[in-house]
Amino acid sequence: MREIEFTIDPATGELTIHVKGIAGSDCADVAKLASELLGTPTHDWNTPEYYLRPQVRRRVQPRRKP
Amino acid sequence: MSKYLSFNDIVFKDRRLLLSALADLGYSQIEEGDTLPLFGYRGDRRSETAQIVIRRQHVGPLSNDIGFAHAKDGYRPIVSEFDQRTLRDGHFLVQLRTAYSERVVEEVKRRLHGTAQRQVEGGVVKIRVRF
Repeated sequence: MREIEFTIDPATGELTIHVKGIAGSDCADVAKLASELLGTPTHDWNTPEYYLRPQVRRRVQPRRKP
Repeated sequence: MSKYLSFNDIVFKDRRLLLSALADLGYSQIEEGDTLPLFGYRGDRRSETAQIVIRRQHVGPLSNDIGFAHAKDGYRPIVSEFDQRTLRDGHFLVQLRTAYSERVVEEVKRRLHGTAQRQVEGGVVKIRVRF
């Protein structure tokens, strides 16, 4: 399930949008829709999760003594 | 993939959502036109013009007209210093931004055929739209 989290601060009226788990062009479409309704974002950044790549770890097993 | 977008400028991009947000705050008597003049509380004509106007009689007894001038990035509010200080206890623009943001969430939910879950966490409103 894809999710967009909107955070509205009633003290300032500021809005932050967190787009989660949406890949590639779908993510761009959501950003485009947000810009269509809200204008150009003041800040636009990808979270560390965005850059996350699957890591393959080599498992080292101790040699067994003959 | 995860991405953050934040919107801090006081500009209202979508005319229809702006009118809905104004209605949410109780301002439904709106004038619209190309270059509507703005008047002060004494009836004095201001130098600015706007495309969306709430006339002062619908704002408050000592208020000036409130306007929204269409710029390339959306509708920018024209609110006198007096009204910024006094209108809705000085929170007019904040409340309007909040109402507009709520309308944006509704619109996104509608367009994506999603469902929304709302909760208040630490003084901020979090609305999760799943689709």
